[in-house]
Amino acid sequence: MIKPSWSLKDAGRIYLDHNATTPPLQSIVEHLPEWATKWGNPSSIHWSGRGPKNLIRDARENLSHLIGCHPLELVFTGGGSESNNSVIKGLFAQLRGGDRNEYITSSVEHPSVARCFDWLREQGAIVHFIGVDRDGRLDVEHYKRALCERTALVSIMAANNESGTLFPVAELAQLAHAVGAKFHTDAVQTLGKIPVDVGHWGVDYATFASHKMYALKGVGLIYAKKGERLTSLIHGGGQERGRRAGTENALAIAAFAWAAHEHLNRIAEHSARMRELRDRFERDLLARVSRISITGIGTLSLSGAGLARLPNTSSLVIEGVDGESLLMNLDLEGVSVSTGAACSSGNPEPSPVLMAMGLSRQEAQSSLRVSLGWDTTAEEIARFTDILQNVIERLRNLHASFAAKRSHGEGTYVRS
Amino acid sequence: MSGLEATKRKPRVLVAMSGGVDSSVAAAVLCEQGYDVIGVTMQVWDYSSSHCAIEEGNGTCCSSLDVDDARSVADRLGIPFYVINCEDKFKTTVIDDFVGRYLKGETPIPCVNCNTFLKFDHLLMKMRELQCDFLATGHYARIEERSGEPVIVTSEDSWKDQTYFLFTLNRDILKHLLFPIGGWQKPEVRAYAEKIGLPVARKKDSTGICFIGKKNSYASFIESQVPSQKLKPGVIRRYPTGEFLAEHKGIHHFTIGQRKGFGIAVGQPIYVVKIDAETATVWMGDESHLLSSRVDVHGVNWLSDVKDGESLRVKIRYAHSGADAVVRIHDRDCVELQFNEPQRAVTRGQAAVFYRDHDLLGGGWIR
Repeated sequence: MIKPSWSLKDAGRIYLDHNATTPPLQSIVEHLPEWATKWGNPSSIHWSGRGPKNLIRDARENLSHLIGCHPLELVFTGGGSESNNSVIKGLFAQLRGGDRNEYITSSVEHPSVARCFDWLREQGAIVHFIGVDRDGRLDVEHYKRALCERTALVSIMAANNESGTLFPVAELAQLAHAVGAKFHTDAVQTLGKIPVDVGHWGVDYATFASHKMYALKGVGLIYAKKGERLTSLIHGGGQERGRRAGTENALAIAAFAWAAHEHLNRIAEHSARMRELRDRFERDLLARVSRISITGIGTLSLSGAGLARLPNTSSLVIEGVDGESLLMNLDLEGVSVSTGAACSSGNPEPSPVLMAMGLSRQEAQSSLRVSLGWDTTAEEIARFTDILQNVIERLRNLHASFAAKRSHGEGTYVRS
Repeated sequence: MSGLEATKRKPRVLVAMSGGVDSSVAAAVLCEQGYDVIGVTMQVWDYSSSHCAIEEGNGTCCSSLDVDDARSVADRLGIPFYVINCEDKFKTTVIDDFVGRYLKGETPIPCVNCNTFLKFDHLLMKMRELQCDFLATGHYARIEERSGEPVIVTSEDSWKDQTYFLFTLNRDILKHLLFPIGGWQKPEVRAYAEKIGLPVARKKDSTGICFIGKKNSYASFIESQVPSQKLKPGVIRRYPTGEFLAEHKGIHHFTIGQRKGFGIAVGQPIYVVKIDAETATVWMGDESHLLSSRVDVHGVNWLSDVKDGESLRVKIRYAHSGADAVVRIHDRDCVELQFNEPQRAVTRGQAAVFYRDHDLLGGGWIR
């Protein structure tokens, strides 16, 4: 069993927000002092550079096994957002002024993809946003219509961070290649949850983030298929074969690779375990509490057959309960979940992803995202289900009693 | 929660934290008094900086620095802290009403609506949702008991007293309210903040209306909120003769009693005495035309029982020192006030708030 490094478990807290970030593995925390002794600049010729240089080389090797590619097809960056920006803006910079000036993306991408395309549009590119339905199924007909010989790049995520919906990346990439377009997938949510094989996907670019896989913040990864150019977003030194300047974060890169190594042979086990607990949670909750629905069940293939979701994610709409109040109550009970993407917390607007999936504003504001991790236990899930049930029922009763009072004219001051 | 646990747990209080020194100290005092404290800040659009330089994540970059201050105080006190979304509610109940009343020639006080619909309604619901026993704010007001019933009483610091803004509160909720610094003087509040090292100890007092900000004027704020065709230009006339004095760019530039800034010289000081929204006419008269000895008040909310014909102390604007008046109760939410001394610049949109000694009795809107 993989031990989490965090001490919060002792306090009876339950962390179910692994799509936001994951706790670093205990073994990583234990290795940090050792890796920290390799503090040299990896580009240095002298002895101090050798340690970190080796860490990075080994890491590249490990990670290439994890995602099924050649080590030299991997570029370390500062994170998932930077990786997405590099691929999209880099390709735009390469192709600018040419025949291909159209871009295709989905309407449910992470902001680090969506905002790039907004920016491309301001720069004169034509961008097609492909919608999805309530189950997260991409509007394939629209996608096919949008693809043409002017398409430069398609960027569609492998798994949605909020709903957990998986996209049929391999088929989508094949269609893009048929018109000569490049295909990128933001695969940040996949590592540590499902097997990843970029060769099988057949994509040209894929992007990842280390902190979603039980390692540290501050490192991202770009897979750029052999032969595919990657224009550096960060200009400077010649690190990463000129594809990403800046002294490498050897410590976090080593941690990333460590997590990859831990993960490599256990993906099926982790995946099955999380799926079982997630399914049990949904089954129990839906049996015990009324008026709850699951969002974004997804689809495995373009035909729409075979629903597919990340095994760890559950996106719920809980009627008659404000997500904000739910979250605060759960936090006070020591349970960490979220309403949408963590990056938008503090942003009171309902999730654009859920709205794009066709949920009403009210539904989106009544949403809850539960995302399990490798170390989530059956006991935690049982306890969480009880707590959630109690909070939902209490909030619903409270609002029902106040709605009744108000309809009798009690309570509020009315200004004539 | 079982009955046993319920009796064992400390009383829990939700404290509204603006990021200012008053509500920060209120939160600190509650912690010291042994309450189980939860801090909350209402996220309303930061209207003072409508042009945000950073586009990404408007929730954080445009939320005012006050939210950060509130959060750092909560961290210092070691209490849970949440920012809650009140943008829609603030827009519909505070901003829209404020703008609408200006366009009707009134001079509104948005703080009352913010108390009515946000602090003591929306937050009160959050209080219940979070299983809190009390809601606390940093208002300068006190709650005392009169024959077993809670009443709101003016604060110890008469200069800072904020009971004027609290007249719409429902009687039933008073038992849930705490005003921890209502019995304090402002300098004591600052000294306390200094003593316990709160990061906001020396922060300036907020003045004026929160969503307008220092750089903006009321008029330019109104202009930013409504289509320009709604801001009808009109004329300024002499009261009562009707003599034409000048043209103006919209009645939202004027308030009753206003004197300066017209560029009109008629040899003696003249004041805005009447605003006619229908015709967009602003009437300027002598000081004597500003005086009223009676006023109708509507939308009255009562916090205590008052007898028809009773003589009360009445404040007709926040900075007013109060005047004695006899109240004639036409019906429960509509009264007439007869002042012992005529009052200057009784202004539509402002509130008339009633007191008996220091007790807040209720209030309503000047018609």
